[in-house]
Amino acid sequence: MILRPSRGDVKLIGWGIGRVILGVGLLMTVPLVTAVLSTEWDTVLDFLVGILACVAFWLVMELTCKSERDFRWFHGLIVASGGWITAMLFGAIPSFLSGHYKAYLDACFDLMSGYTTTGLFLLQDLDHASNGLNMWRHLLTYAGGQGIIVIALTFLFAGTAGAFKIYVSEGKEEKLLPNVINTARAIWMISLTYLVIGSLFLWVSLLKEGMPVARGGLHSLWLFMGAWSTGGFAPQSLNILYYHSFWVELITLVIFVIGSFNFALHYAVWTGNRREIYRNIEIRSFTTTILLGTVMLSIGFGKFGVFGSLGEFFRKGFYQLASGHTTTGNSTVYSTSFFQEFGFIAMWAVILVMAIGASACSTGGGFKGLRMGIVFRYLRGEIRRLVSPESAVVPEKIHHVHDIWLDDPMVKGALFIIICYVVIYSLGAMLGVIYGYDPSVAFFDSVSAGSNTGLSAGLTSPLMPAALKVYYIFMMWAGRLEFMSIIALFSFAGALLRGKRARRRRS
Amino acid sequence: MKRVGIIAMVTIILVVVLAGGSGGIAWAAEEVTVEELVANMEEFDEREVTISGEAVGDVMLRDDHGWVTVNDDAYSVESIHEGGDLTGYSNWGIGVWAPRTELEGIQIMGGYKYKGDQVRVTGVFHRACQEHGGDTDIHANRVEVLEPGHPISHPFAHWKLILVLVLAMLVMALGYVWWKRTHPSLPRGWRG
Repeated sequence: MILRPSRGDVKLIGWGIGRVILGVGLLMTVPLVTAVLSTEWDTVLDFLVGILACVAFWLVMELTCKSERDFRWFHGLIVASGGWITAMLFGAIPSFLSGHYKAYLDACFDLMSGYTTTGLFLLQDLDHASNGLNMWRHLLTYAGGQGIIVIALTFLFAGTAGAFKIYVSEGKEEKLLPNVINTARAIWMISLTYLVIGSLFLWVSLLKEGMPVARGGLHSLWLFMGAWSTGGFAPQSLNILYYHSFWVELITLVIFVIGSFNFALHYAVWTGNRREIYRNIEIRSFTTTILLGTVMLSIGFGKFGVFGSLGEFFRKGFYQLASGHTTTGNSTVYSTSFFQEFGFIAMWAVILVMAIGASACSTGGGFKGLRMGIVFRYLRGEIRRLVSPESAVVPEKIHHVHDIWLDDPMVKGALFIIICYVVIYSLGAMLGVIYGYDPSVAFFDSVSAGSNTGLSAGLTSPLMPAALKVYYIFMMWAGRLEFMSIIALFSFAGALLRGKRARRRRS
Repeated sequence: MKRVGIIAMVTIILVVVLAGGSGGIAWAAEEVTVEELVANMEEFDEREVTISGEAVGDVMLRDDHGWVTVNDDAYSVESIHEGGDLTGYSNWGIGVWAPRTELEGIQIMGGYKYKGDQVRVTGVFHRACQEHGGDTDIHANRVEVLEPGHPISHPFAHWKLILVLVLAMLVMALGYVWWKRTHPSLPRGWRG
């Protein structure tokens, strides 16, 4: 149980959240510049309002909550979870002002979807959206992929010894370098390098496919951001299907598969440890589950018979499977196709790999390959123990950058998080069924939201019930932060309420 | 009487042959919406259909053919920047594969700044096109421009400008207080 927080605790958390919101305001300068260069003056005003609101909030927090204390674990958890919610509320300002949303809730839904790299969206008339708004959608998914706390750490928390506590609270446990600020900067360096290379490849292929130079450049940047962050946003409503291009599909597939790998693995490979690619438990887990998914998909396609050739299997089947497994959400089919054209088995193959998801400490969501590896090795150890003499010691280890011996707390931790995911997936599906959606469709979209994937079988739309929108926002948020920060935030709110009630009773 | 019958028969045959030869069998194609096509892919697969809507995005030419996306949703009639209502979905569009000569007539593509040309497309609908890796598309034999596109005016929202000014004043006031608090030892002339 969290002890009743003091005024100092609340102030420190407020100060930390203020810094995160300043980071959001700084991010908005990129779409602002895009809108200015594109002479989209209405959009310029939208982003000016957003930036000024963020700066005003930060100044209020600086004036009222400035604290000399450093963060403890509890503060880090609350700053991370509360920071994401506040960032959603402020980030939705320019989106809502654009006129593409019927309600502020819808804009908040898209913001949370972007930050958490989910990719589901309620924006209406995307094909008439401005460059500024499109830059904002893709930038926030790119930034959210690294973690908005990572952004704040990179620029705004320098010199704070408790920074690591906020960093870990965002669902990242890897410390690439001894200093967490340098770790955050290393994550950015990796992402920016891939941004330059990936966007160039996409630009060349888009030019080859007949797009004009300037629009091709913008689209290549946005497609990279959407794929690398495993967000899955695209600037046109048909998503990747808009381009009708094998090369665009192949390049985005490579980008989102690489983007779904653990940043620690990236860093190990970058610093010369190339063998890590073959030895890492997450790569092995991903390879195994995607192979099993491919087998299931083949059986499903074979039975249904819509996509017959190898090319069709790759571009319509494997692409969606890999997009689902890496929790990206880029798509080359209509959302209704999952239900109508894939058939039951193939659709469930996509649902299962979405539920498993990508790597820990990556831009992806879901159970994560690391946890699947831990649970699998634990089960293997249990079986080996059963068939061994009673006195035999059967140790199990996993390889993730270095060898790690499995112990009970590690296995319990992995199982706890997996169970949390299963619970939120199931509740979302039940809610969908209660509202009258087909069970497979309800499961598909619920798992997609909870695992931060973004593929949709048709349930997610601006017309979906408000309660489902709110629950999906919660799922995206909880799934991205992996529950601990969320549990801490609710405990904190409970402790605050208990404190107020106790004070009232005393007076 | 027999002669009249023969003349009528020949006339009918001539009309059918000539209409077919000039690509004018469009009258046989069913007029549908993209939403209907997507919802009933199996039913419309390999059938000739006609859709009408706005050309959006880009014309992507590839050798002697090219792609264009045609939307026929409510926004293709009146986009939200022209005052159209939010109808509860994003867009309904489909990729159209057509000969380069048919696409040359399209001049303005829909987007934030422009309402695209209104076109009428007749062609064969493919639920999973074998030529294009399983894409859901229409292979058009005819693309007509019904109405040319036009620029969309975005009237300056004065209320947004007022909001910006109010927020800017608030930020300046807060910034001043914050600056004074964080720089207490500045020379007198700097402290206002």
